[in-house]
Amino acid sequence: MTRETPPDNSIAALSVHIPPVPSTCPVHEVGSLLFLTEKYQSFLSLPVVDNNEPVGVISRYELTKIYVKQFGRELYGKQPVSNFMNPKPLIIDAALSMESASQYITKNISHPVTEDFIVISDNKYMGVGIVLDLLGAMEKQVARRNKLLAKAFADLKASQAHLVQSEKMASLGQMVAGVAHEINTPLGYVRNNVETIQGLFGQTQELVNAYQSLVKMLTDSDANEEELHTQLGLIEELGAPFSTTEMINEMNQLFNDSLFGVDQIAELVMNLKDFSRLDRSKVENVNIHDCIESSLNIGRNNLKYKVTVKKEFGEIPNISCSPSQLNQVFLNLFTNAAQAIEDKGTLQIKTYADETFVYISVQDSGKGIPKEVIPKIFDPFFTTKPIGQGTGLGLSICFQIIKSHDGKIQVASEMGKGTRFLISLPHSPQKIAKVSNT
Amino acid sequence: MSGKATILFVDDEERILRSLKMLFLGKYNIKTTTDGHEALEILKNEKVHVIVSDQRMPTMMGVDLLRQASQIAPHAMRLLLTGYSDLAAIVGSVNEGEIYRYVNKPWKADELKNIVAEAANIALRLSEAQTPIKEEKTKPAAKQASLQSSILVLDNDPATHNIVKKISANCAPVYCSSDIENAFQILSEKEIAIMVSEIVIDGKDVSGPIKTLKQYNPNILTIILTSFQDTKTLIELINQGQVYRFLPKPAHEGLLGKSIQAALQRYHLLRDAPQLLMRHKVEEPSQPITSSISGKVMNYLKKIRERNGLFAH
Repeated sequence: MTRETPPDNSIAALSVHIPPVPSTCPVHEVGSLLFLTEKYQSFLSLPVVDNNEPVGVISRYELTKIYVKQFGRELYGKQPVSNFMNPKPLIIDAALSMESASQYITKNISHPVTEDFIVISDNKYMGVGIVLDLLGAMEKQVARRNKLLAKAFADLKASQAHLVQSEKMASLGQMVAGVAHEINTPLGYVRNNVETIQGLFGQTQELVNAYQSLVKMLTDSDANEEELHTQLGLIEELGAPFSTTEMINEMNQLFNDSLFGVDQIAELVMNLKDFSRLDRSKVENVNIHDCIESSLNIGRNNLKYKVTVKKEFGEIPNISCSPSQLNQVFLNLFTNAAQAIEDKGTLQIKTYADETFVYISVQDSGKGIPKEVIPKIFDPFFTTKPIGQGTGLGLSICFQIIKSHDGKIQVASEMGKGTRFLISLPHSPQKIAKVSNT
Repeated sequence: MSGKATILFVDDEERILRSLKMLFLGKYNIKTTTDGHEALEILKNEKVHVIVSDQRMPTMMGVDLLRQASQIAPHAMRLLLTGYSDLAAIVGSVNEGEIYRYVNKPWKADELKNIVAEAANIALRLSEAQTPIKEEKTKPAAKQASLQSSILVLDNDPATHNIVKKISANCAPVYCSSDIENAFQILSEKEIAIMVSEIVIDGKDVSGPIKTLKQYNPNILTIILTSFQDTKTLIELINQGQVYRFLPKPAHEGLLGKSIQAALQRYHLLRDAPQLLMRHKVEEPSQPITSSISGKVMNYLKKIRERNGLFAH
């Protein structure tokens, strides 16, 4: 046996030192020790030791067998205990771990259990161990480990929840940055138009003032010809920008553009609001096409310059679902599609329905997913992106969301041709469970 | 000044173009297009003084357009007007587009008017003087002359010192320093053509002094070699510091070598035709930078200005 374990977990802790008996000790003396001495009450057996080396154990059970025989005590009492002892007792090195000792004992102990085991140190007798004590110690150890495992499990769950949360924050951050940029364009021209029109308004004010002075001159009998002439010239000059229909049209256009821009900003903000709606519960009568459009709007920043979106929307019924969760799924699929397309490509979104399911197919013309990777794509933390660029949770969250809707998400991909995700959602799922931590 | 300047606006959003057209109506000849290819055609066929381009456009990215514009119409001043301030666009606009200003959307009408007016003014003045703008590629004289002008490295990372020394072993003396005061002392004593600099040294942002240096010594060419990626700081370094190149760390020997070579050539071109320095005029910072500069550095800056008195205009 090897000395492998730290002492606090070793069998030495269970060893009880009791004075052993020599092999020459007569049986009746051993009997009175075991049966009549109180301090030996809890032991099943006594160790037999010669010159510090254990040579056997003599058990209560063996002695009882002698004593119950007729005249047993008289016949055998004077004989040395070595005639009756078990010469091959269980001997355990004090340095052995509880687990190893327990394994060894379970394997080698005789049934029913009638003996204790002997503990040695450096091959010398050290004490005895009680099998039941060992069991108790083992049980305590198991309980302690269970506690540790439970804690480790809780920690793991918490850190997973944390990661799911940071994935959500990361995609939210990306989305917000995209939308903010998207807003900058209409904001740019709306602001500029307002400032331009403000300048023009100043000019019209001057023009009105000039007209008022003219009217004053005309009604004033003292007015002189030359001054009138100058004033008319001024009016003509100030009015020039407003006198051609082309100019008037251009100015009207500025107003129309500004209104358009403000509407566009309003729409983006509304989409953002829809998108981040905090409700996680089931909503009746959701139009999946609205969810798709809203996700396309939010993801436009990623799509617009490289992806042509082709929509083939079929007749599908409204369904009960959590729209904000489905938006998250769609945005994730659209963003992945855009990332899979290296230069320019198409994203085809098809919807159709049968009696029980609504189907949404999202197909890109991107680089495709390698065969060996496909089985892993829905696994949490699986990512092909460089470190720091993807948490590997996007698709696993999609999978969970669709599953919680009693739906299915399937994938087919061909290298160099593209990838297609097919989502099927029941018209009315039995239950919409909350997706944990999303 | 003879005639109006011609301004070319390129943006994929027509409303932006209409809006800009109305803002500048009457002051300039205005050309607009939503397509980069068409913009290049216009540049080939007409004299354009200022190009103002969007960055993200479906047919051609702004940086690509401006890079090609600098070949086709080198006289035209190049500006980027964009709602996206991503790092790639900023770095590209400096290294490839060699732009005059990076303007964010939404812009302020008055500010944009001033910037465009300044750019148009510079382009008109230079085109009157018929100043050649591009380095002539086969001009061995530049190499000879470069022997007198030196390179300063400002970085507390010895790796940067070593790589610049290695690259420049045969073309220019290299001075190295690890802190800003030492660097500015060298600048006040030697003729430095190129400064290769980090922006953050010992955790401190030194972009303020770098920008001020360009104000005091407009003929120095700055190559920023950094791992720092704050877009706002980088945009300010374009507008207020007219940096010559942005290079990422770790330094790529080939890229850095090419940049140093190009900078040396540009330095000599600018020395021979100092009126071209107008093209790299820096914008006044919105708040005085001097507050971030120690008195010692300020004294060196004054000396630097005296040294370069010849170049001032």
